[in-house]
Amino acid sequence: MKFIETLKLAAAAIWAHKLRSALTLLGMIIGVAAVVVVVSLIQGFNNYIDEKIANIGAKSYTIGRFGFDDFKDLDAIAAAQRRNKELDFDDYEFLRTRLTLTDKLGAGGRPSTAQIKRGSETIDDVPVDGTMAIVGDIQKVDVEDGRYFLDIEDNSAARVAYVGADVANKLFPSSSAVGGEIDINGLSYRVIGVATAKGTVFGIPQDNFVTLPLRTYRQNFGPLVRQRSFYIVGTAKDDKHFDDAVDEARQLMRIRRGLKAGEKDNFGIFTPDLITGLRDQLFGVIYIVAVVVPGIALVVGGIVVMNIMLVSVTERTKEIGIRKALGARRKDILKQFLVEAVVLSAIGGATGVLIAWLLGRIVTAVLIPTYLSVWAVVIAVSVSGGIGIAAGIFPAWKASSLDPIEALRAD
Amino acid sequence: MESPATIEPRALEHGDLLAHDAVPAALISMRDIWKTYEMGEEPLHALRGVSFDVQRGEYLAIIGPSGSGKSTLMNLIGCLDTPSQGRYWINGKLVSEMDDDELAHIRNKEIGFVFQTFNLLARATALHNVELPLIYAGISSADRHERAKNALSSVELSDRMMHRPNELSGGQRQRVAIARALVNHPSLLLADEPTGALDSHTSIEIMNLFERLHAEGNTIIVVTHEPDIASRAHRVIAIRDGQIEKDEKIR
Repeated sequence: MKFIETLKLAAAAIWAHKLRSALTLLGMIIGVAAVVVVVSLIQGFNNYIDEKIANIGAKSYTIGRFGFDDFKDLDAIAAAQRRNKELDFDDYEFLRTRLTLTDKLGAGGRPSTAQIKRGSETIDDVPVDGTMAIVGDIQKVDVEDGRYFLDIEDNSAARVAYVGADVANKLFPSSSAVGGEIDINGLSYRVIGVATAKGTVFGIPQDNFVTLPLRTYRQNFGPLVRQRSFYIVGTAKDDKHFDDAVDEARQLMRIRRGLKAGEKDNFGIFTPDLITGLRDQLFGVIYIVAVVVPGIALVVGGIVVMNIMLVSVTERTKEIGIRKALGARRKDILKQFLVEAVVLSAIGGATGVLIAWLLGRIVTAVLIPTYLSVWAVVIAVSVSGGIGIAAGIFPAWKASSLDPIEALRAD
Repeated sequence: MESPATIEPRALEHGDLLAHDAVPAALISMRDIWKTYEMGEEPLHALRGVSFDVQRGEYLAIIGPSGSGKSTLMNLIGCLDTPSQGRYWINGKLVSEMDDDELAHIRNKEIGFVFQTFNLLARATALHNVELPLIYAGISSADRHERAKNALSSVELSDRMMHRPNELSGGQRQRVAIARALVNHPSLLLADEPTGALDSHTSIEIMNLFERLHAEGNTIIVVTHEPDIASRAHRVIAIRDGQIEKDEKIR
């Protein structure tokens, strides 16, 4: 018997019991849809983060007072508070003159908040930070209007400001902000550049900030310690050897701090990998839960398919008898029922994918972009097909081993 | 493993055929057929040493009261079952030694069944029902349609091909079943109480059709308990208590 005939037979049998087939597949459809939706959501979320991280600037590393490990628990924080010294311009010079694998090296101070005014307009709690001119290059800042700082403005602690799009729009609603004067904590600054609007990342606005030259920041906001903590940022000469560049910086810092082998770093280095690594760790757990739970729905769906196939075999005992009398071999009957189970399950899988795709479109429209993962689709459909085989093999075997004489006697 | 010394040659029994004269010329050749069912303590012998031949082109009726072993014999002739003992050849093939799949192949090629209750697929059209044996014979879809149409028109059902069994009368259903039985050009048309579910008028119609098919050269075996039906055949075998009671030519 040709395969196409078996396939036609399966389709006809499923179609003959449309409602029953649909109800049978409900569990399978929900399971597949859930798996695909969750995977698509996570994929979308991942891509979103990757994109935003890519947006934040070129691949760079940041050396600061505290490392990621230092925030493990309260004891670690307390220990790091005692052990880790603030970084300063001397550390920067030390590294700058010795690093061989690093391309650009800059420094900055962490933001503190300030009130910004222009005429009658006031914005409270705007994060203000300071950076060297080169940080504009390192972070590949997107200048909408005007320019970033020059070295000379940093060295002379000039009162110039590079502002986010929100700040510019709020204070200069009808004119260009570039060249305009703003008041920060009572001092007047000239706006030299406006950043391109970036929108929000996880609901945090990215366009509400003011950046000053680092030395201006230090002079007018105070020493670069505690919340204004000094940090150093660098890029590798070659992104392929990024990790080596980071390692070199770390070793130099250890030498500078006089750390012995085996001693813990008393400073911290952040890399994009650390952030994505952290994310992967977090999503890893979500992934497992999100795939295992619908996976249970799939297994239950498979059991339902097996049950309905057993019912089908019992109902169609007479048909099996007729087919056998007319020359159907065991494997013909086995194939007929197995293919029917697989086709049934595959329809469930495909429907689940379709529903997931529709849900994904809705989520994309209202929330974040999702990506229908090809892998999720392939896995969902092959798993449902596999469940079809697993669920169909026993009923099909049962059907194929029926005695034709007894089967013909059934009503 | 058993050692070869323990295997002794079996004594030649009555009905055994020697290797050199193994294949009989008759269409059907049964030699000392036994069928025994193990039911509880005592084995039940449904058939006790049945032997007969059927030549090509014969029209044979097998009669007997219920419990005579007639149905068992029909199942054996139809290759739906294998004997407990004895040998059975159909068209030169020794089917008594075959496994399930080989038997299925023989049923498909050599035998056309006509059942008392028609045994049509309820959801399928007359055409599809007639095509069924051809599907299992691996015939292509175009050929199948052609041959099934021809078979249906030979039983005068050209205008009912797309009807389902529940849209057909009993006589029409039985004619669909006969078309299905003939479509593979089997060596043997095997009918089990073919008129058992039909009124007398339709019965005569069906029996006339059998006569025509016989005249066209088909070999027909009808299993029945009705003397009227049996009397249409040219030879009657009467079964009683699992043995042949009478085997006579009546025409």
